[in-house]
Amino acid sequence: MSDFLKLFLEQLQSPTLGFLIGGIVVAALGSQLAIPDSIYKFISFFLLMKIGLTGGIAIRNSNPTEIFLPALAAVGLGIVIVFIARYTIGKLPGITVPDAVATGGLFGAVSGSTLAAVLPQLDSAKIPYEAWTAALYPFMDIPALVTAIVVASVYLSKKTGNTSEKVEIWPIIKESVQSSAVTSLLLGVALGILTKPEPVYESFFNPLFRGFLAILMIIMGMEAAQRMNELRKVAQWFAIYAFIAPILHGFLAFGVGLIIHKLTGFSIGGAVVLAVIAASSSDISGPPTLRAGIPSANPSAYIGASTAIGTPVAIAICIPLFIGIAEVLLGR
Amino acid sequence: MSQQVWKLVIVGEEILSKKLIKLIKAAGATGYTVNAAGGEGSRNVRSTGEPSVSHTLSNVKIEVLTGTRELADKITNDIAAKFYADYSIITYIYQVEALRDHKF
Repeated sequence: MSDFLKLFLEQLQSPTLGFLIGGIVVAALGSQLAIPDSIYKFISFFLLMKIGLTGGIAIRNSNPTEIFLPALAAVGLGIVIVFIARYTIGKLPGITVPDAVATGGLFGAVSGSTLAAVLPQLDSAKIPYEAWTAALYPFMDIPALVTAIVVASVYLSKKTGNTSEKVEIWPIIKESVQSSAVTSLLLGVALGILTKPEPVYESFFNPLFRGFLAILMIIMGMEAAQRMNELRKVAQWFAIYAFIAPILHGFLAFGVGLIIHKLTGFSIGGAVVLAVIAASSSDISGPPTLRAGIPSANPSAYIGASTAIGTPVAIAICIPLFIGIAEVLLGR
Repeated sequence: MSQQVWKLVIVGEEILSKKLIKLIKAAGATGYTVNAAGGEGSRNVRSTGEPSVSHTLSNVKIEVLTGTRELADKITNDIAAKFYADYSIITYIYQVEALRDHKF
């Protein structure tokens, strides 16, 4: 246990986390520091592109059937997370079902920044993982968003007695795949598989990755502090959910990952990636899809919960927590 | 050289901009102008220019010049029916002088 605490504390001192907390502190102190939107967009693109390339190169050199079970698990987790929200916060007084389901959808969906944060920390801790695990992102992201929109639409049409309107699933999938985050990642995967990007990968994408990640962490921290004001306007249950949900979803996914580890030899590092993907909540691609798909849900509730609390908890608590557990399981 | 036309201004959520433009063109307007916008309304403070992780919280201002009041009213009614209930959006109108001969 003391080993675990020591490892956990070491993880807390990682640059990723330090920059995130730095961003929160300067924004909370009312600093005028502003990082332009276009830089944020470029960095998100760059990081997901690099992760996609890494995954694509790995898939090219590996057995593609290995990804099947983890991908299936990712789909299942994305769907289950929405139903957890539907039957926990969705049942609480003063919370509408569309708000609860939209929040569940966002927490089931995946954060590119959290994914970008866990991979270098696994590298630093020297925990091996399959590089293609990053490609699990869309397998959890899209089912979660689709499930949330379908559940909310079914609920609303039952409530109004208007059952004639059917929910079209295909446009939601299309919109998710076309979102900037998933497109960047899938483009990277495709280029990694089909071309030989090693020269640009080694000289450009790989060396700059950690630096850009650190800047993104500052932006995420500043954003978290700003969104706290939005979150204050909605029921405090959302704040409590946003704190517990990433840890709960992470443990659920880590357990599933360990079962796949026993069955097929999926690495423990891979189970950590699956857990962190499940713990993360979408901050790039999810909100616009949900805003369009569930218009009656209050964006202050789900964006506030995800950006102000969910993402910091996923990065600051879940990443060190699951890396710490993995180190113990690996007998270090 | 100049003519009296109506200027309809729509301030709303950025994620609606594609749908609004489609609606404006379908109603028969010949053109429009889009700007990024920020400010505060009854639903929430909505800002622009700051780094924003999610564009769900950004706003746009769309201006449409129409030759007749009827066309402007039609656009307003379409927007009201589709978006007023669930979205932050407002429309207003005033008469302006267009300084170029153009068939609106």
